[in-house]
Amino acid sequence: MTLSTGATLVDVAFAACTVLDRAGETAVLCGGSAAAFYVPDRYQSFDVDFVVEVGAAPHVVDRALASIGYVREREGYYRHAGLPYALAFPIGPLAIGREEVTAWRTERRDAALLHVYAPTDVVRDRFLHYWAWGDRTALDVATAVARARPEAVDLAAIRAWTDREMASDPSYDASRVARFFASLRE
Amino acid sequence: MRRDDLRPAVFGTATRDRVLIRLALSENGLHVRELARQIDSSANAVHRVVIALERAGVVVSRPVGTTRIVLLNRRWYGALELRALLERLAVAYPEVADRARGYRERPRRIGKPL
Repeated sequence: MTLSTGATLVDVAFAACTVLDRAGETAVLCGGSAAAFYVPDRYQSFDVDFVVEVGAAPHVVDRALASIGYVREREGYYRHAGLPYALAFPIGPLAIGREEVTAWRTERRDAALLHVYAPTDVVRDRFLHYWAWGDRTALDVATAVARARPEAVDLAAIRAWTDREMASDPSYDASRVARFFASLRE
Repeated sequence: MRRDDLRPAVFGTATRDRVLIRLALSENGLHVRELARQIDSSANAVHRVVIALERAGVVVSRPVGTTRIVLLNRRWYGALELRALLERLAVAYPEVADRARGYRERPRRIGKPL
Protein backbone atom coordinates (compact mmCIF):
# COMPACT_ATOMS: atom_id res chain seq x y z
CA MET A 1 0.00 0.00 0.00
CA THR A 2 1.39 3.41 -0.97
CA LEU A 3 0.33 7.01 -0.48
CA SER A 4 0.67 9.52 -3.31
CA THR A 5 1.65 13.14 -2.70
CA GLY A 6 -1.93 14.17 -3.35
CA ALA A 7 -3.37 11.91 -0.65
CA THR A 8 -6.18 13.37 1.45
CA LEU A 9 -6.76 12.95 5.18
CA VAL A 10 -9.24 10.18 4.41
CA ASP A 11 -6.72 8.42 2.14
CA VAL A 12 -4.14 8.56 4.94
CA ALA A 13 -6.65 7.33 7.52
CA PHE A 14 -7.63 4.36 5.34
CA ALA A 15 -3.98 3.46 4.65
CA ALA A 16 -2.88 3.73 8.29
CA CYS A 17 -5.85 1.79 9.62
CA THR A 18 -5.36 -0.94 7.01
CA VAL A 19 -1.66 -1.53 7.64
CA LEU A 20 -2.27 -1.53 11.40
CA ASP A 21 -5.11 -4.01 10.96
CA ARG A 22 -2.84 -6.28 8.93
CA ALA A 23 -0.31 -6.03 11.78
CA GLY A 24 -2.99 -7.21 14.20
CA GLU A 25 -3.80 -3.81 15.76
CA THR A 26 -7.26 -2.27 15.79
CA ALA A 27 -6.99 1.51 15.47
CA VAL A 28 -10.12 3.65 15.58
CA LEU A 29 -10.23 7.09 13.99
CA CYS A 30 -11.54 9.57 16.55
CA GLY A 31 -11.40 13.25 17.49
CA GLY A 32 -11.58 16.01 14.93
CA SER A 33 -10.28 13.76 12.17
CA ALA A 34 -13.35 11.52 12.54
CA ALA A 35 -15.50 14.64 12.12
CA ALA A 36 -13.47 15.54 9.03
CA PHE A 37 -14.29 12.10 7.64
CA TYR A 38 -18.05 12.78 7.83
CA VAL A 39 -18.07 16.50 6.92
CA PRO A 40 -14.89 17.12 4.89
CA ASP A 41 -16.36 20.27 3.38
CA ARG A 42 -17.08 21.78 6.81
CA TYR A 43 -14.06 20.75 8.82
CA GLN A 44 -10.46 20.07 7.91
CA SER A 45 -7.71 18.72 10.08
CA PHE A 46 -4.04 17.91 9.68
CA ASP A 47 -3.98 15.65 12.73
CA VAL A 48 -5.19 12.10 12.18
CA ASP A 49 -6.04 10.77 15.65
CA PHE A 50 -6.29 7.05 16.25
CA VAL A 51 -6.79 5.20 19.50
CA VAL A 52 -5.28 1.74 19.41
CA GLU A 53 -5.92 -1.02 21.86
CA VAL A 54 -4.33 -0.41 25.23
CA GLY A 55 -1.00 -2.21 25.30
CA ALA A 56 -0.27 -2.12 21.56
CA ALA A 57 3.48 -2.57 21.08
CA PRO A 58 5.14 0.59 19.71
CA HIS A 59 7.51 -1.38 17.48
CA VAL A 60 4.54 -3.08 15.78
CA VAL A 61 2.92 0.29 15.12
CA ASP A 62 6.26 1.75 13.96
CA ARG A 63 6.84 -1.04 11.46
CA ALA A 64 3.29 -0.94 10.09
CA LEU A 65 3.29 2.81 9.59
CA ALA A 66 6.79 2.81 8.10
CA SER A 67 5.37 0.69 5.27
CA ILE A 68 3.30 3.71 4.16
CA GLY A 69 6.08 6.22 4.77
CA TYR A 70 5.19 7.40 8.27
CA VAL A 71 8.02 7.69 10.81
CA ARG A 72 7.71 8.29 14.54
CA GLU A 73 9.02 11.64 15.69
CA ARG A 74 9.26 13.28 19.09
CA GLU A 75 6.12 13.60 21.19
CA GLY A 76 4.85 10.37 19.70
CA TYR A 77 3.63 11.88 16.42
CA TYR A 78 4.19 10.10 13.12
CA ARG A 79 5.02 12.20 10.09
CA HIS A 80 5.33 11.63 6.35
CA ALA A 81 8.01 13.43 4.34
CA GLY A 82 5.61 14.32 1.54
CA LEU A 83 2.27 14.82 3.31
CA PRO A 84 1.02 17.45 5.78
CA TYR A 85 -1.00 15.02 7.89
CA ALA A 86 0.43 13.86 11.21
CA LEU A 87 -0.70 10.63 12.82
CA ALA A 88 -1.27 10.71 16.58
CA PHE A 89 -2.19 7.97 19.01
CA PRO A 90 -3.79 9.43 22.13
CA ILE A 91 -3.63 7.04 25.05
CA GLY A 92 -6.81 4.95 25.33
CA PRO A 93 -9.17 3.54 26.23
CA LEU A 94 -11.54 4.83 23.62
CA ALA A 95 -13.88 6.97 25.67
CA ILE A 96 -16.12 10.02 25.43
CA GLY A 97 -16.33 11.67 28.80
CA ARG A 98 -16.91 8.99 31.40
CA GLU A 99 -18.17 6.38 28.95
CA GLU A 100 -16.04 3.92 27.01
CA VAL A 101 -16.75 3.49 23.31
CA THR A 102 -16.97 -0.20 22.49
CA ALA A 103 -18.46 -0.11 18.99
CA TRP A 104 -17.53 1.80 15.88
CA ARG A 105 -18.14 1.74 12.14
CA THR A 106 -15.88 -0.07 9.71
CA GLU A 107 -15.81 1.54 6.27
CA ARG A 108 -14.35 -0.34 3.32
CA ARG A 109 -12.73 0.97 0.15
CA ASP A 110 -11.43 -1.71 -2.20
CA ALA A 111 -9.03 -3.77 -0.07
CA ALA A 112 -8.62 -1.02 2.51
CA LEU A 113 -10.62 -0.51 5.70
CA LEU A 114 -11.17 2.24 8.21
CA HIS A 115 -12.47 1.92 11.77
CA VAL A 116 -14.09 5.22 12.68
CA TYR A 117 -16.35 6.62 15.38
CA ALA A 118 -20.01 6.30 14.45
CA PRO A 119 -21.65 9.66 13.63
CA THR A 120 -23.45 9.78 16.99
CA ASP A 121 -20.13 9.38 18.80
CA VAL A 122 -18.46 12.04 16.65
CA VAL A 123 -21.23 14.44 17.64
CA ARG A 124 -20.87 13.48 21.33
CA ASP A 125 -17.09 13.87 21.14
CA ARG A 126 -17.14 17.26 19.44
CA PHE A 127 -19.96 18.51 21.64
CA LEU A 128 -17.99 17.46 24.73
CA HIS A 129 -15.13 19.73 23.60
CA TYR A 130 -17.59 22.62 23.60
CA TRP A 131 -19.23 21.48 26.83
CA ALA A 132 -15.97 21.12 28.75
CA TRP A 133 -13.93 23.98 27.32
CA GLY A 134 -16.37 26.30 25.61
CA ASP A 135 -14.83 25.64 22.17
CA ARG A 136 -17.38 27.12 19.74
CA THR A 137 -15.63 25.59 16.73
CA ALA A 138 -16.27 22.16 18.22
CA LEU A 139 -19.94 23.07 18.68
CA ASP A 140 -20.16 24.07 15.02
CA VAL A 141 -18.59 20.77 13.95
CA ALA A 142 -20.94 18.74 16.18
CA THR A 143 -23.87 20.58 14.67
CA ALA A 144 -22.56 20.10 11.11
CA VAL A 145 -22.18 16.33 11.58
CA ALA A 146 -25.65 16.04 13.14
CA ARG A 147 -27.16 17.93 10.19
CA ALA A 148 -25.16 16.05 7.56
CA ARG A 149 -26.04 12.62 8.93
CA PRO A 150 -29.52 12.98 10.44
CA GLU A 151 -30.36 9.35 9.74
CA ALA A 152 -27.26 8.14 11.59
CA VAL A 153 -27.14 10.50 14.56
CA ASP A 154 -29.23 9.41 17.52
CA LEU A 155 -30.19 12.67 19.22
CA ALA A 156 -32.19 10.88 21.92
CA ALA A 157 -29.08 8.89 22.84
CA ILE A 158 -27.04 12.10 22.96
CA ARG A 159 -29.65 13.73 25.22
CA ALA A 160 -29.62 10.70 27.54
CA TRP A 161 -25.81 10.76 27.62
CA THR A 162 -25.72 14.45 28.59
CA ASP A 163 -28.14 13.65 31.41
CA ARG A 164 -25.82 10.88 32.66
CA GLU A 165 -22.76 13.13 32.47
CA MET A 166 -24.53 15.89 34.39
CA ALA A 167 -25.69 13.42 37.01
CA SER A 168 -22.04 12.43 37.52
CA ASP A 169 -20.60 15.93 37.32
CA PRO A 170 -23.08 18.68 38.18
CA SER A 171 -20.53 21.35 37.27
CA TYR A 172 -21.30 20.77 33.58
CA ASP A 173 -23.29 23.67 32.17
CA ALA A 174 -26.82 22.61 31.18
CA SER A 175 -27.25 25.76 29.10
CA ARG A 176 -24.62 24.46 26.66
CA VAL A 177 -26.68 21.35 26.10
CA ALA A 178 -29.70 23.53 25.39
CA ARG A 179 -27.64 25.65 23.01
CA PHE A 180 -26.53 22.57 21.07
CA PHE A 181 -30.06 21.28 20.58
CA ALA A 182 -31.29 24.77 19.74
CA SER A 183 -28.56 25.14 17.12
CA LEU A 184 -29.91 22.06 15.34
CA ARG A 185 -33.25 23.81 14.88
CA GLU A 186 -31.73 27.00 13.41
CA MET B 1 10.49 20.94 48.55
CA ARG B 2 11.69 19.16 51.70
CA ARG B 3 14.18 16.40 50.93
CA ASP B 4 13.43 14.57 54.18
CA ASP B 5 9.80 14.07 53.19
CA LEU B 6 8.70 10.55 54.12
CA ARG B 7 5.24 10.71 52.59
CA PRO B 8 4.71 8.04 49.91
CA ALA B 9 4.77 9.17 46.31
CA VAL B 10 1.41 7.80 45.25
CA PHE B 11 1.85 8.87 41.61
CA GLY B 12 5.53 7.95 41.35
CA THR B 13 7.32 11.07 42.55
CA ALA B 14 6.73 13.76 45.13
CA THR B 15 6.61 16.39 42.39
CA ARG B 16 3.91 14.48 40.50
CA ASP B 17 1.84 14.14 43.65
CA ARG B 18 2.09 17.84 44.42
CA VAL B 19 1.40 18.95 40.85
CA LEU B 20 -1.74 16.84 40.67
CA ILE B 21 -2.96 17.81 44.14
CA ARG B 22 -2.40 21.49 43.47
CA LEU B 23 -4.24 21.26 40.14
CA ALA B 24 -7.14 19.50 41.87
CA LEU B 25 -7.40 22.53 44.16
CA SER B 26 -7.62 24.90 41.21
CA GLU B 27 -10.77 25.72 39.25
CA ASN B 28 -9.13 27.63 36.40
CA GLY B 29 -5.67 26.07 36.18
CA LEU B 30 -2.24 27.59 36.73
CA HIS B 31 0.69 28.44 34.52
CA VAL B 32 3.81 26.33 35.02
CA ARG B 33 5.85 28.94 36.88
CA GLU B 34 3.04 29.66 39.32
CA LEU B 35 2.40 25.95 39.72
CA ALA B 36 6.10 25.44 40.54
CA ARG B 37 6.05 28.30 43.02
CA GLN B 38 2.93 26.96 44.67
CA ILE B 39 4.47 23.54 45.31
CA ASP B 40 7.98 24.83 46.05
CA SER B 41 9.60 23.14 43.05
CA SER B 42 11.51 24.24 39.96
CA ALA B 43 9.73 25.25 36.75
CA ASN B 44 11.79 22.73 34.79
CA ALA B 45 10.80 19.86 37.06
CA VAL B 46 7.15 20.84 36.91
CA HIS B 47 7.32 21.28 33.14
CA ARG B 48 8.61 17.71 32.74
CA VAL B 49 5.84 16.36 34.95
CA VAL B 50 3.20 18.31 33.07
CA ILE B 51 4.39 16.98 29.70
CA ALA B 52 4.23 13.39 30.98
CA LEU B 53 0.77 13.88 32.48
CA GLU B 54 -0.46 15.58 29.32
CA ARG B 55 0.69 12.63 27.21
CA ALA B 56 -1.26 10.36 29.54
CA GLY B 57 -4.34 12.52 29.00
CA VAL B 58 -4.70 13.36 32.68
CA VAL B 59 -3.99 17.07 32.33
CA VAL B 60 -4.42 19.53 29.48
CA SER B 61 -2.85 22.88 28.79
CA ARG B 62 -4.03 25.84 26.77
CA PRO B 63 -2.00 28.80 25.53
CA VAL B 64 -2.66 32.18 27.11
CA GLY B 65 -0.43 34.89 25.65
CA THR B 66 3.14 33.67 25.88
CA THR B 67 2.47 31.07 28.57
CA ARG B 68 0.35 27.96 29.01
CA ILE B 69 -2.30 27.32 31.62
CA VAL B 70 -2.32 23.77 32.95
CA LEU B 71 -5.40 22.12 34.41
CA LEU B 72 -6.83 18.68 35.09
CA ASN B 73 -8.51 17.24 32.02
CA ARG B 74 -12.19 17.05 32.88
CA ARG B 75 -12.79 15.13 29.64
CA TRP B 76 -10.58 12.26 30.82
CA TYR B 77 -12.70 9.19 31.55
CA GLY B 78 -11.45 8.91 35.15
CA ALA B 79 -11.45 12.65 35.87
CA LEU B 80 -14.06 12.64 38.63
CA GLU B 81 -12.51 9.77 40.54
CA LEU B 82 -9.02 11.26 40.20
CA ARG B 83 -10.15 14.63 41.49
CA ALA B 84 -11.87 12.99 44.47
CA LEU B 85 -8.71 11.03 45.29
CA LEU B 86 -6.51 14.10 44.96
CA GLU B 87 -8.78 16.18 47.19
CA ARG B 88 -8.52 13.38 49.76
CA LEU B 89 -4.73 13.25 49.42
CA ALA B 90 -4.54 17.02 49.89
CA VAL B 91 -5.17 16.41 53.59
CA ALA B 92 -1.68 14.92 53.75
CA TYR B 93 -0.20 17.98 52.05
CA PRO B 94 -1.33 20.89 54.24
CA GLU B 95 1.43 23.15 52.91
CA VAL B 96 0.06 22.75 49.36
CA ALA B 97 -3.53 23.24 50.50
CA ASP B 98 -2.58 26.32 52.56
CA ARG B 99 -0.91 27.99 49.60
CA ALA B 100 -3.86 27.13 47.39
CA ARG B 101 -6.23 28.79 49.85
CA GLY B 102 -4.12 31.95 49.75
CA TYR B 103 -3.99 32.10 45.96
CA ARG B 104 -6.58 34.33 44.34
CA GLU B 105 -8.10 32.93 41.13
CA ARG B 106 -11.06 35.29 40.84
CA PRO B 107 -10.69 38.56 38.89
CA ARG B 108 -9.36 41.67 40.58
CA ARG B 109 -10.04 45.19 39.28
CA ILE B 110 -6.94 47.06 38.11
CA GLY B 111 -5.79 49.59 40.69
CA LYS B 112 -7.94 48.24 43.51
CA PRO B 113 -6.03 48.67 46.80
CA LEU B 114 -4.99 45.50 48.61
